[in-house]
Amino acid sequence: MYLSLVNLSKTFQARGGIKEVKAVIDVNLEIEKGELVTLLGPSGCGKTTTLRMIAGFEFPSEGQIILDGMEINSLPPHKRDMSMVFQSYAIFPHLNVFENIAYGLNVQHLSKKEITTRADKVLELVHLEGYGQRAPTQLSGGQQQRVALARALIMEPKVLLMDEPLSNLDAKLREEMRTEIRRIQKEMNITSVYVTHDQIEAMTLSDRIVVMNLGKIEQVGSPLEMYRFPNSRFVADFIGRANFVAATVLEQSGNDLTITALGKTLTLKNVRRQFARQESVTLIVRPEMVRIKKDGELFSGTVRRAAYLGDVIEYDVEIGGELITGIETDPYVMEMFPEGLAVSIGFAEGCIQVLPAAK
Amino acid sequence: MQEISSLPEGQPKGLNNLRRRIREFSLIGRDPVLSISLIFSGIFIFVFVIFPLYRSIVGGFFNSDGAWDVTYFARYFDNYYGPGLRRAFTDTMLMGLMTATAGTLVGFIFAYAIVRCNIPGKKYVHWLALVPTVSPPFALALSMILLFGRSGLISNKLLGIEFVQGANDIYGLDGLVIVQTITFFSVSYLILRAMLERLNPAMEEAAASLGAGRFYLFRTVTLPLLIPGLAGSFLLLFVESLADLGNPLFIAGNKMVLSAQIFLAVIGEYNYQKASALSFVLIVPTLIIFLIQRYYVNRRTYISVTGKPAGSQIQEKDPLIRWTVNSIAYLIIAFIILLYLTIVYGSFSTAWGVNFAPTLRHWEMTVTRGVEAILDTTFLSAISTPVAAILGMVIAWLVVRKKFTGKDMLDFSSNLGGAVPGTILGIGFVMAFNKPPIALAIGIYTLLAIFFVQIVGKKVSDRIIMLIFGTAIGVALTRVESVMMYYILGGTFILIGLMLLIIQRKVFKPTVAIALGVYLMANNWADAIGKPIASYSRTLPRGFFSNAIFQFSDYIKVLIQPTPALLAIILIFAGALLLQGTKGRVWQITLGIMALAIPCALSFTGVPYAMVGGAYIIMAAFIVRSLPASVRSGVASLQQIDPSIEEASNILGADAQYTFRKVTLPLILPALLAGLIFSFTRHMTSLSAIIFLISAKWRIVTASILSEWEQGGVSIAAAYSTVIIVIVLIAIFLLNLLINRLFKGRGSVDMSQGF
Repeated sequence: MYLSLVNLSKTFQARGGIKEVKAVIDVNLEIEKGELVTLLGPSGCGKTTTLRMIAGFEFPSEGQIILDGMEINSLPPHKRDMSMVFQSYAIFPHLNVFENIAYGLNVQHLSKKEITTRADKVLELVHLEGYGQRAPTQLSGGQQQRVALARALIMEPKVLLMDEPLSNLDAKLREEMRTEIRRIQKEMNITSVYVTHDQIEAMTLSDRIVVMNLGKIEQVGSPLEMYRFPNSRFVADFIGRANFVAATVLEQSGNDLTITALGKTLTLKNVRRQFARQESVTLIVRPEMVRIKKDGELFSGTVRRAAYLGDVIEYDVEIGGELITGIETDPYVMEMFPEGLAVSIGFAEGCIQVLPAAK
Repeated sequence: MQEISSLPEGQPKGLNNLRRRIREFSLIGRDPVLSISLIFSGIFIFVFVIFPLYRSIVGGFFNSDGAWDVTYFARYFDNYYGPGLRRAFTDTMLMGLMTATAGTLVGFIFAYAIVRCNIPGKKYVHWLALVPTVSPPFALALSMILLFGRSGLISNKLLGIEFVQGANDIYGLDGLVIVQTITFFSVSYLILRAMLERLNPAMEEAAASLGAGRFYLFRTVTLPLLIPGLAGSFLLLFVESLADLGNPLFIAGNKMVLSAQIFLAVIGEYNYQKASALSFVLIVPTLIIFLIQRYYVNRRTYISVTGKPAGSQIQEKDPLIRWTVNSIAYLIIAFIILLYLTIVYGSFSTAWGVNFAPTLRHWEMTVTRGVEAILDTTFLSAISTPVAAILGMVIAWLVVRKKFTGKDMLDFSSNLGGAVPGTILGIGFVMAFNKPPIALAIGIYTLLAIFFVQIVGKKVSDRIIMLIFGTAIGVALTRVESVMMYYILGGTFILIGLMLLIIQRKVFKPTVAIALGVYLMANNWADAIGKPIASYSRTLPRGFFSNAIFQFSDYIKVLIQPTPALLAIILIFAGALLLQGTKGRVWQITLGIMALAIPCALSFTGVPYAMVGGAYIIMAAFIVRSLPASVRSGVASLQQIDPSIEEASNILGADAQYTFRKVTLPLILPALLAGLIFSFTRHMTSLSAIIFLISAKWRIVTASILSEWEQGGVSIAAAYSTVIIVIVLIAIFLLNLLINRLFKGRGSVDMSQGF
């Protein structure tokens, strides 16, 4: 365990008309060396506050932060040997690119030669060779972002913290940059904590994802774990899209669960949890797990919406009053079912996650 | 985020609060420079704002024997004094209301003309609208009297109106309100201009697209959004009008207003109790309005005044409205120019009202007789300026970037110094620093000594030893004769420097210590340095240079002989910084005792904080008056810096000091320099706060103007006024040049923050 958060909580005191706010509640997390962990969640879920506590900008109300075996709660930010990339980049406007990147090394009074060598190396790493003398105002958003990244990386920190660094970029740039960030992080093997509300970013970059909601951790796991085995509706809905189908358990034998849903009975495979007879459950059916054919499947329904998106064809089909979203991924299928057509729908029985209805 | 209003169980609320407060302070305490900033600001505000105000306000309730006595308050309700006092009160309020209304109106016209009517010559109109802020407080009253008075150029010579006192003269409330309106409308103009510029045009465009006609739109969209600015400016002008001393003294005629009553109670009757009682009556409406302004108006502002102006401005399309507004603005500008030209010409005319032929006679007198006041004022203003600007920035930084208990109090009190009428502050200074209580010195020394030993000593026992021995030696030293004492103190510091050199082998700290030691010793050489200069000046023919050089010898004394108690504060901080991190317990204790004894001796030598009659009290008054402007300008510029920038610096390994030096300071430098301009201007044109603090040794020009006027020296008064205006304009020009050269347009300066 390289970085541990133990029972971490943060309550913002009531001040001048604003009520007390419990921003982070009892967060426990173990991060391995070299791992990139993403804190993912909607606005106000506590992810940024958690990150800021790790950085030292907020003081935990309770709990400890332990880095490399040492508790660092009372260490001020400038002594923590961490780096941070801010959402607004926070480039120093009065310094040029080189001076910005070299800032942290100048604080340590390193020799000019060493600073220049390291700065040149890191400029190359972020593909900004030759930009050293530019002023920040002459840089595009993406370039500023890379300067911010370079400035953080040159410190060779124990932990790299990133607070929604891509949210101010346009979609294409965001795509490029997130693969870049992942590449660099893996190359330098820096332990990283990444904060975002964009689940695609999280899925692309992370070794593990931590989904947070209302100050608490909902679930921690690899992208696959989170996507295929969400343990709550919140997580299932936050990462990827999901159809929530109400069902009742008939019986379970081993990992095979027989349920009734939407008026039909089917047996699901690979169900990890154990359920009781007659228990109400929710099926998490991802759109790609829905087969929509002319006929031959279990359920009957009607097409309510069809959209050709290029890589997939997306359908909303109504089965007994419920609207289910499904997608056709087979590239050989080029014909789109029209609205109003009666179709036959099946589920990929071995892929569906089942949760108790209450969750 | 979950919002609940109860804490986790088992935690008593009070204890949690206390722990939080302690932690906030310990976060600051870890950084010595930060702690020093906080403590110094706190002490300064307490000693020079809160304490004097307290004495001033409370003084009205106690007579000279110290007994409770509300005579002067009771008089408001009796039959003899009552009517007159009550009339003065109502007249004061009436004056305030009229000035506030008229001033806001004129300010709005100017703002509208510049922002929306595209008035030709915009730049000049802007600067001319600001000229009244750089002129002495009664320059315009003087000018009005020259033009419209009994022997006024316009009223008498041109129009031939016969002077009937009370009926058709410029004296009285009407003239006073006119003068005050012109004097103060600039503030309103700046506030309203800033608001208009930041009004998002999209809102008005949306209203127009919904079918709102022009007047309807103005009434239902524009005006409501401007109300915080209008209200703010109204309240501000009301307070400025009430606080105004100079104009009423010149032009109020038979009408008596509170500020003048206070002045007369001191200068005429030497009755501080009465003056304090009247101050209390004056300060109540002032404080109420100040609070309304801060907590009601500012909260309701929907336009962000710290943001950038909206890109494009809606322009007034109706030519009738446009040219009406512009014409009024031009007329007022012309009037202002006329007023100032009159002052200048008045200084050159032989005998205003009788003989208008130009002469240099008055200027000769000004330059010879008046040079002392002019130089004194400029010197003291100049020295106070960097202190005010830096202190303002420090307080602004503490208020914006740090969280600690009492932060709001610090912010509020620093603004108080400029918000209360100057006369009240002036009286407070006299009452506080004539015979200050020893408790003040003891309290401050104790606080600083504890701070000092916390930094220098590591163990509690060491700290107690340092405290006891340092204080004992210091107090013992106060018994030593003054000259000897300063040699001992200076010598001790030099010794500290040498010892530091031995221990640490680094040059910087020992050099500083030795320099301080020499400075302390120099206290004894002030005469030795000053006398030759004074003698030399006496050999010169009597004139400008002889006076100037003689004054110069006094200035050297001011710089070398600061008030001991104030020097003590600086030395404790210096000592803490020098000895911080000294290794070796024995060294810590020894040097600690030595470094503590020196400021201790200085804190208690003579009568601590008895400053009336000296230069330092005038400088303190200057700083207190201009501090709010520096703080507000600092706050505005700091708020424009993304806090992430300072956090970025922190996480890259820089502590608060390094961050401030390398990141924050370069970014706020334009505002800091602008603050210098505001401060210097405010100092040069101060009257009400320092009128009671001048002495035979230290003269202030604004007071000289008053006395010349009272003796009938109209032209000399005009000459003095011109001198102040010219000096201030030169300073503004030079500083502006400096800013433009250094920053080439980077970093805009929000002028409205100067108020």
